[in-house]
Amino acid sequence: MTELRNVIVFTVGAARYAVELRWVREVVSLGFVTNVPTAPTALGGVCNLHGAILPVLDVSVLLDGVPGLAARQGDGALVIEAEGLVCALRVDQVDHVASLYETAGAVTDATGRPLILLDPARLIRRALELVTALAEHPA
Amino acid sequence: MSDGELDFDAEELAMLRQLFRSEAQDALETVTARLLAGGSAKPSAEALTEMMRVTHTLKGAAGTVGLHAMVDLSHRLESALAALGREPSAWQAVTADRLVEVIDALRGYLDHVNEPSSDAAAAEIRTQIDHIARPNRRAQTEPPTFVEPPPEPVLDSASDTGPLPEPKAWLHVEPERIDTLMSSAGELLFDRTRIERRVQLLRTLARDLARTRQTLHEAIVDESATRPARSLLVEAENALAGQAALLSQTTAALLDEIEALRRTIGEVQRGLTRIRMESAKSLMTHAARTLRALRRATGVTVELRTVGEATEFDKAVAEHLVDPITQLLRNAVAHGVEPPEERAAHGKPPVATITIRARQDANSLVLEVSDDGRGIDTAALSERLVATGRWSAARARLANDADVLAALLDTGISVRGEADELAGRGVGIGLVRQTIAKLGGEVKVSSTPGKGTTFTMRLPLSTALAQAMLFKVDGQVYAIPNIHVVDTTLVEPHATTATVRHDVLPVLRLDQLLGHGAATEKKPAIVVSFAGKSLVCTVDKIVGAREIVIKPLGPLLAPLTLYAGATISGSGKVQLILDPAQLVRRAHPDAPGAALSDPVSAPMVLAGRALVVDDSRAIREAMTSMLGSEGWIVDVAEDGARALQMTRQLRYDLVVTDLEMPALGGFELIARLRKDDRFRTTPVVIITSRASPEHRRRARDLGVRALVAKPITRRKLLEALAAR
Repeated sequence: MTELRNVIVFTVGAARYAVELRWVREVVSLGFVTNVPTAPTALGGVCNLHGAILPVLDVSVLLDGVPGLAARQGDGALVIEAEGLVCALRVDQVDHVASLYETAGAVTDATGRPLILLDPARLIRRALELVTALAEHPA
Repeated sequence: MSDGELDFDAEELAMLRQLFRSEAQDALETVTARLLAGGSAKPSAEALTEMMRVTHTLKGAAGTVGLHAMVDLSHRLESALAALGREPSAWQAVTADRLVEVIDALRGYLDHVNEPSSDAAAAEIRTQIDHIARPNRRAQTEPPTFVEPPPEPVLDSASDTGPLPEPKAWLHVEPERIDTLMSSAGELLFDRTRIERRVQLLRTLARDLARTRQTLHEAIVDESATRPARSLLVEAENALAGQAALLSQTTAALLDEIEALRRTIGEVQRGLTRIRMESAKSLMTHAARTLRALRRATGVTVELRTVGEATEFDKAVAEHLVDPITQLLRNAVAHGVEPPEERAAHGKPPVATITIRARQDANSLVLEVSDDGRGIDTAALSERLVATGRWSAARARLANDADVLAALLDTGISVRGEADELAGRGVGIGLVRQTIAKLGGEVKVSSTPGKGTTFTMRLPLSTALAQAMLFKVDGQVYAIPNIHVVDTTLVEPHATTATVRHDVLPVLRLDQLLGHGAATEKKPAIVVSFAGKSLVCTVDKIVGAREIVIKPLGPLLAPLTLYAGATISGSGKVQLILDPAQLVRRAHPDAPGAALSDPVSAPMVLAGRALVVDDSRAIREAMTSMLGSEGWIVDVAEDGARALQMTRQLRYDLVVTDLEMPALGGFELIARLRKDDRFRTTPVVIITSRASPEHRRRARDLGVRALVAKPITRRKLLEALAAR
């Protein structure tokens, strides 16, 4: 059993996720979300974060291919930095910072409830793949 | 006084006077700054000397360009300043205001430099100056002599025309020339984005090549292959391996070069920006003047303190900062500063101070406007937010002081209930935030009850400013670099072409590409031109031309070729900037570079511009819808003759035609098209209800791709398009 320290636990729809704190730059409330026509659904839009353009990603699409709720102004989001780029993940609720336990590949919190541990680098690579694929073979 | 006595021809003189005007404006600015540095207190001896020196130089320059009235006036101003220097007792509380008035009058006089001098205006200023020095009645005395430069005899037109010693080798450049360079540098940014995309494509290609090689390798390893075939395969694999390696090396090198290009573009932009830099001084001088006017208007006594006058700004940015600063000063005078009695009761000095601080830190320019007034009552503000319905009571309960202060910037609400003419009921604060956001910066407010309020504006040091045409689709605002916008027009419903200044241009339905626009309405449109190709883009609403700050989209969005970048609106919303090159490419699929950026389209045309020729309107509509949903831009013609006419103006990537039509039949149309070089190999699909063997033979001879029997279904059409 491995213990993972400093993990942020959050929910998107019915799913509970966790991400290690070292990837998380900020927890923010999103500003106006600008829709990006022709972009894949994984890209929920773009926001202004301290004067820079922040892409907002949909975790549900990236992991399960099922679109979650559209990102809107005032929604909570985790600002993630990985693979040399910064993006936001829309979340419904940020629960807490906690320690998790990994036993034989399954991740649970202290109470034994299972969680999905996100790999932000993989998530971002997947988003890049989707955007590139769409750009090369427009629908 | 006539100009005939001067050594310059009319043109040269006009230019010289233009130069003099900008020099004189700077000189008057310096004098004003010196004058106002001490509030209404008497300037120091050193300040007076400086003011006299500058006025003296102004006098000399005015003589050189033959502006004798100006020589006279600056001489009088110099004399008045000298008198004040000798007789400090002559300085009165109103003297500073009077001097400012005279300087303003001189400045006004300068605006008419190229016109015949108005003696009435000169006489008016003369009276004002004399009034200043009147207490000691020595206005007409000669100014004291300076060691450097030696005093020149004044009011002597003959010697006035002599050349002035050049103090410094200044280069005077028209601002427009620099602006042109700036916008070219901005264009370079777009160019770089495009090159970057191509390189990304090469990378993909290298990856594919490696994959092909792997497939080949597996074929070689396959034991079932015959020996001679295998040796050929091995050879091919080696060649492929070499090529793949070369391609990926080249791509990597190209990426390095783009990085170098990026740095160079950055340097060019910074260099150009530096040319346009000016110190915060003129901004602060302006602030001092504003405050003086406010003082006179309200009777509120405030002193201005400025820190960091040497901080440099982009002139374009500085111009935009005048309004926010004015607004904040008004706000401070109207809301921030307490009456003297109240100040005294709190143990504060009776005269309030407003401080403007400018400084650079790391990558930004920071400008602070603070007052030492009563501070913002966050409780009262919170109550007003609830009372005006902007906040719910629950939200107000949860908010801390910082949240409440931030709301002040968002909603522009005033703490004082009643309307206030001076500060515009706090509406102005919202405008401050908008202006700063437009420049790519942000505003923060902090306040300590009883101690004062500080507004901090943080701006990017270098701003890639560009002119853009803004428009709306589905309520969202987009931008197109204005340099590529030729015109605006209106497009009829369903039109696939529009005539602009006698040219028939293709229509790109941006309202449908970016939103859910219906083709049934007449739409406003923007005429875009790029690399010699033009098109008309329909939108929902044209907002107009604006100056925007270009922000990069970042690596995640870079593959979306439709966008060249983004900008942030005054209210902090992201607005996407469309790439004109891509728009043109969508309407003119044969534009240069089309094949490279879309490798899949090379062997078989997947989409482009299609011409549908049929005498039945229903079939035309049906085909338009089917092809449209496959991404084709569709033009229609009701017979062969009309189709021929259209092909003369536009190139098509696909022609779909009926056979039996009035005027000119399908086979005749195809035969004529094949004689035109542009349509020699264009895919042609025939739709007909009579597909006899004879028809098939004729079609084959004309190089027709497929014959589709009516009734046409989507599937039949797609199969025909995919046929080789």
